[in-house]
Amino acid sequence: MKKLLIFVTALAMLLALPASALAQGGGGTLVGGFDVGPGGLSQTHPWIQTAGNTWLIKIWSPLVSYNEDISGLAPQLATEWSSNDDSTVWTFNLREGVVWHDGEPFTADDVRFTFEFVLSPGSTATAPVGMAGIKTLLGAEAFSAGEAESIEGINVIDDLTIELTLAVPDPRFPYKLVEAYILPEHAIDFPPEDIATAEWWFSTPIGTGPFMHDEFVRDQFWAVVPNPNYWNGAPKLDRLINRYFEDETAATLALEAGEIQFTYVSGDVALRLAENDNYVIYQGPSGVTNYLIFNMREERFQDVRVRQAFLYAIDREAIAEIVLGGTATVVPCLAAYPAMWPEEYNDYAYNPDLARQLLEEAGWSQDEPIEIVTYYDSQFHADAMAAMQQFLADVGIETVPRVDAEGYNSYFYTGEGWSISYRGLGHTAGSYPFQYYETGGYPDAVGDAKTLSGASYPELDELIAQARSEADPDAYMGLLQDICAFQNENAIEGSLWTAIRFAATTNDVQDFYWFPGPAGGPYEDHAELWTVAAE
Amino acid sequence: MLKYLARRLLASIPVLIAVTIIIFTLVELAPGDVADRYINPEISYSEEALQAIRERFGLDQPAPVRYIKWATNALQGEMGRSYISGEPVLTMIGRRLGNSLLLMSTAMAFGVLVGVALGVFVGLRQYSFWDVSLTTLSFVGISLPAFISGILALYLFTIHWRIFPSGGMRSVHTAPSVGDTVYHLILPAGILSLGYIATFMRYTRFSMLEVINSDYVRTATAKGLKRRTVIWRHTVPNALLPVITMIGLSVPNLVVGAVFIETIFSWPGMGTLYLDAVGGRDVPLIMGMNTVIALVVLGANLLTDLAYGLVDPRIRYD
Repeated sequence: MKKLLIFVTALAMLLALPASALAQGGGGTLVGGFDVGPGGLSQTHPWIQTAGNTWLIKIWSPLVSYNEDISGLAPQLATEWSSNDDSTVWTFNLREGVVWHDGEPFTADDVRFTFEFVLSPGSTATAPVGMAGIKTLLGAEAFSAGEAESIEGINVIDDLTIELTLAVPDPRFPYKLVEAYILPEHAIDFPPEDIATAEWWFSTPIGTGPFMHDEFVRDQFWAVVPNPNYWNGAPKLDRLINRYFEDETAATLALEAGEIQFTYVSGDVALRLAENDNYVIYQGPSGVTNYLIFNMREERFQDVRVRQAFLYAIDREAIAEIVLGGTATVVPCLAAYPAMWPEEYNDYAYNPDLARQLLEEAGWSQDEPIEIVTYYDSQFHADAMAAMQQFLADVGIETVPRVDAEGYNSYFYTGEGWSISYRGLGHTAGSYPFQYYETGGYPDAVGDAKTLSGASYPELDELIAQARSEADPDAYMGLLQDICAFQNENAIEGSLWTAIRFAATTNDVQDFYWFPGPAGGPYEDHAELWTVAAE
Repeated sequence: MLKYLARRLLASIPVLIAVTIIIFTLVELAPGDVADRYINPEISYSEEALQAIRERFGLDQPAPVRYIKWATNALQGEMGRSYISGEPVLTMIGRRLGNSLLLMSTAMAFGVLVGVALGVFVGLRQYSFWDVSLTTLSFVGISLPAFISGILALYLFTIHWRIFPSGGMRSVHTAPSVGDTVYHLILPAGILSLGYIATFMRYTRFSMLEVINSDYVRTATAKGLKRRTVIWRHTVPNALLPVITMIGLSVPNLVVGAVFIETIFSWPGMGTLYLDAVGGRDVPLIMGMNTVIALVVLGANLLTDLAYGLVDPRIRYD
């Protein structure tokens, strides 16, 4: 009887041990290449970042982030937000009980401080998305010019409520705050001029994210440990490490060598690893639509039949399936997410005979091959362009691809120096690039329309104006669908596909979540739940 | 000798200035600038943001003004800050230079020692089985690109046999240690040394064959000296003179790094830093690195010439 009692007690202790270990961390160490691939950016920090948000949100938090699949927003430091009727005054209710990594309480004053800090005269903050949002605050311009002591549009109601007034109405203003990480007023010990260069970000960073800084070895890795006070519960991992790789091949090799548990992988690698039970593959739309943009300043592209002929001539489904190995999805317009597509649209199914007919009707002729310029220098896009070149040649359109990764930005946006460009555009419903299409959107572009393509569409301008001012989310989505329908019907661009992006983990990683957010998001990935099973 | 040294040092100054002007001009002529690094064409583009970035980095000023500003600061030892990371250029170069020196010097030292030894070995056994086999292997070693041998080595030693780590300079799970660094160094340095082994074996073999057939070696043999004495006192020392030249010419490799090996082994050295600097149009970093590399090349050439004078009594410098 005594021996049985000892045995039962020991067994109970053994069974209880894993549970107790998990409650205190005990979820192992997860090493990953979080800045590998598109959306990643090694060794960056808030307010200068152009990507790398998947990692940054582990340490710092914005008021809101994208939700799990980038279809909307998720609360972070703000739990609720609302605006007045004309979307000029936004009220954010902040999460109660949040403390910084050093134990100090988070309050609305930290939000005020952050926005004024990065907008201060002489500030070296350059993060395009974050800065674009807060620069629309009323009085931000005067403050940045040193003409005001504070930003008029920031009003701290109480410790957990802040009111932001905009200089112009913006129904989608919260979307512009997803990359605006809030900083601790009490712990920032450097001036705004040193935002870009301060060692603080990597030596003694303080945030409100699920993980706290542990060790940063430049060019090697950044290790963080659980924040026991995180509002969604202390993370289960013991340690999370972001290892830096120069190249995604090196990261893939490290994954297969068992040295890391997670990395972004290219489509061909994902297809190979999917057949191996040792790995789990994650995938999602890249949010970037690849398309051909025609320079409508050239008369030959102004005929809609010519543009439609391009679409009918290219077998986009075959390229997506065969050339790109099933790692792309054909799209009907610029929008990468199906929620933004109309119910019915022209799929421009491969029809070379119709393409030839349209070209003949339009009186198409060319003296020399048309250059299709791109900044993409990867094999993925080189293969796609080679296939397109062949399809177009079959219907009598001679083209020649040209890669210009370094100089592209210096001339493309002026509208000069290119006839057709193969490019990509990443966006979400909340960050739709209206200015690309609305008349006057690009004041520095040549031509009267001042649009990216050089063409002006009054009907599209009207739809865009409505969408810009529409506050109701459903109505707004309906307008985006109408814009897509217009783009599709008029073939204002040669919309091609959106790439699927992949990541892989080893099969011992549990409760993991990854989504290919543009610039890495940030999005809600519930990192506090991740664990690595013990061997 | 001192006069010669002073002349060479003085002559190096205009060479260095010319190098900086040429590099700066080439970077200016290349399309695009650092603002393109901040503006991702897949995200919404803003002319205002682009201009703000250009003003912040002083790119709105004329090129000659920017060069003179850079040169004036460089003379005071201030190479500026990286446009991309904001770190002081000299700090970045210092850190990466140390990593490259570790990798390249290990590879080169091993390569020279083994290559020279093998070169002496086969040079004394011309047309033998060893000579033919090792010479053939040396052709393979010279012809095989480092990134191919690197990928093959990674597959075998890291994925298949799991003997060595896949990359990095240290483990992420333990505190840094000499042993851990050596463990991470073995594979990349070993791959890089293959090229050096092959090259120095070939040079040494050729030099040995030349010296073996020279008059003074034949005289020493005819005098009845032991073969060992003829080889180690007369043949090998003279055969090594051209090898010294090759070592001197290889010294700049210690600082320029090996971009392919650094990339696939995630070894943060000068090669990948330079690639990132050029890709990001990081002018301060490009200028800083080229200045350092030019100084090393000039210094290495000078040291090689001086070493020649020390080793060969027939050579005198005035």
